[in-house]
Amino acid sequence: MRNAVIPVKKTLLLLLVVVCSIATGGPFLWVAALSLRTTPEILDHPYSFPLHPHFDKFVRAWTHSNYGLYFWNSTLVVVAAVVIVTLLGAMAAHGLVRYPFRGNRAVRFLILSGMMLPPQMLILSLFQIMFNVGLYNTLGGLVLVYVATQLPMTIYILESFFAHIPQDLFDAAKLDGYADFEIFWRIALPIGMPAVFTTGLLNFIMLWNEFLYAVVLLTDNSKRTLPLGIMFFMGGHQIDVGMVATGLMIAILPVLLLYACFSETMIKGMTAGAVR
Amino acid sequence: MASVVRVEPSDDRGRLPAQFPAWIPIVIFIAPAFILYAGFTLFPVLKTIYNSLHVMKPHNAVEFVGLGNYGALLTHDDVFWKAVKNTAIFALFGTVFDVACGLLLALLLFAKIPLARFWKIVWFSPVLISYVVVGIIWVWVYDYDWGFVNTGLRLVGLGSLEHAWLGDPHTALWAVLATQVWKWAGFNMIVFLAALYALPEDVLGAAELDHCGWLAKLFYIILPMLRPTVVSLLVLSFVGKMMVFDVVWIMTRGGPLWSTETVSTYVYKRAFDWNTFDLGYPSAIAVLWFAMILAFVALLIGLLRQRDKMEY
Repeated sequence: MRNAVIPVKKTLLLLLVVVCSIATGGPFLWVAALSLRTTPEILDHPYSFPLHPHFDKFVRAWTHSNYGLYFWNSTLVVVAAVVIVTLLGAMAAHGLVRYPFRGNRAVRFLILSGMMLPPQMLILSLFQIMFNVGLYNTLGGLVLVYVATQLPMTIYILESFFAHIPQDLFDAAKLDGYADFEIFWRIALPIGMPAVFTTGLLNFIMLWNEFLYAVVLLTDNSKRTLPLGIMFFMGGHQIDVGMVATGLMIAILPVLLLYACFSETMIKGMTAGAVR
Repeated sequence: MASVVRVEPSDDRGRLPAQFPAWIPIVIFIAPAFILYAGFTLFPVLKTIYNSLHVMKPHNAVEFVGLGNYGALLTHDDVFWKAVKNTAIFALFGTVFDVACGLLLALLLFAKIPLARFWKIVWFSPVLISYVVVGIIWVWVYDYDWGFVNTGLRLVGLGSLEHAWLGDPHTALWAVLATQVWKWAGFNMIVFLAALYALPEDVLGAAELDHCGWLAKLFYIILPMLRPTVVSLLVLSFVGKMMVFDVVWIMTRGGPLWSTETVSTYVYKRAFDWNTFDLGYPSAIAVLWFAMILAFVALLIGLLRQRDKMEY
């Protein structure tokens, strides 16, 4: 009897697996198919396989529909922000872990409490402040905001990693005459590389997808990041489903590419650091 | 950034070993991050609190009104209370569904199904995709004419159930909720999976020897042992949903008829869509709401105080 039950259970289990996989993967495959088909084709048969794939749609999206510009803006902002936040975050994490100065705990608490701040607490006055200092509607301003808002999480992850590096290593380096910054640059950073890489990936994904700060702080069409560009395109061309789908694919592809290469790192990083 | 890179003293090793006063390296390491953080995060928060006590009029005229904004908000703002109700429903049910779906997915992977590693990667993928992308895909999934839901219903002969899921005030909030669960279930799955693999194997083995059925094993052994994980995920997820903005804004903009208006979308609308130029009133909403979230977190942590708490 036991033997008869097991296949039934197993089949049910596998059925559930298939259902879950269709539910999560299906929409992506659908959009991938839509992105290669034209809007009239889609409205005719929304669910057919792209029998005559229109790869040229990507070229058209890139040149005629401004997606190339949006993509470039996103890349510029996100890469700059990730580089800065990783470097400043690593320096601060190292400083907080290795220098038990007075006020260390207060500084640490202030910074880490930033992980709990909802964007709504910042965004209204940030709009005002950026306007007053002339950073409103500039990509540089958005980079600074991104760096500031991602710093707490970055420092949180790096700090716990740096804290595990044995102090002896630093003492030895100091005896050998290494200067403070050199100790950071030659010892803490290289040893902490796995964590630095994880936070870098994590910040890249989160900022690549970021919407709220960008929508409040940018207005020019020529400055829109990819998420804003897609929303704008969606609003202006409600009917052009095919072109929007191509835009969605352009936004997804870099993320999927990174995910394909570093899936385990990204899964671990997201769940370790994403307090949101 | 450039000024920081220039500090690197790669050529003077041994010449100036730690001869600066001790505070200099501390400042060099921490000050850039702290100043940036303080300027673009702490200062705006204080400014928001300050703004919430004022009314801002065109041409930079600012008038102090004390707690007037809060009074107006609590006594005669029907939309605010509608938003509170919607956000509460969203946070409550969204959290439960999120965590439950995550647990289900994790248990499936834990049951040693073939290709588990591959499924894990697939099921986690929505977590990484932007809400703009997810929201637009799901607007299409709910499309009346050719959306997946209605097409599927017609296909299985339930065409009478077809519906404008996002257009009907009765279903819109739930439709958005489903999208949010779809995106975040994978996140909870990973956390649960790590917790499941950390369970002591001998306990699970002993249960098997005692011919404990899988349902009994789940409810009497696995779930009680996962309690700390469940609690922290519930709190984490709830806090996140109290601030929900992106998915709602992208899919419905709070409509139809305020049926999906959340506190965050209302704040945004009052500040940037109503053309009143008054940042004071929406700031009051944001501050009040943040205070409620903090109070709630404090309450929960107090209630559920235990060693395996959340990683705040």
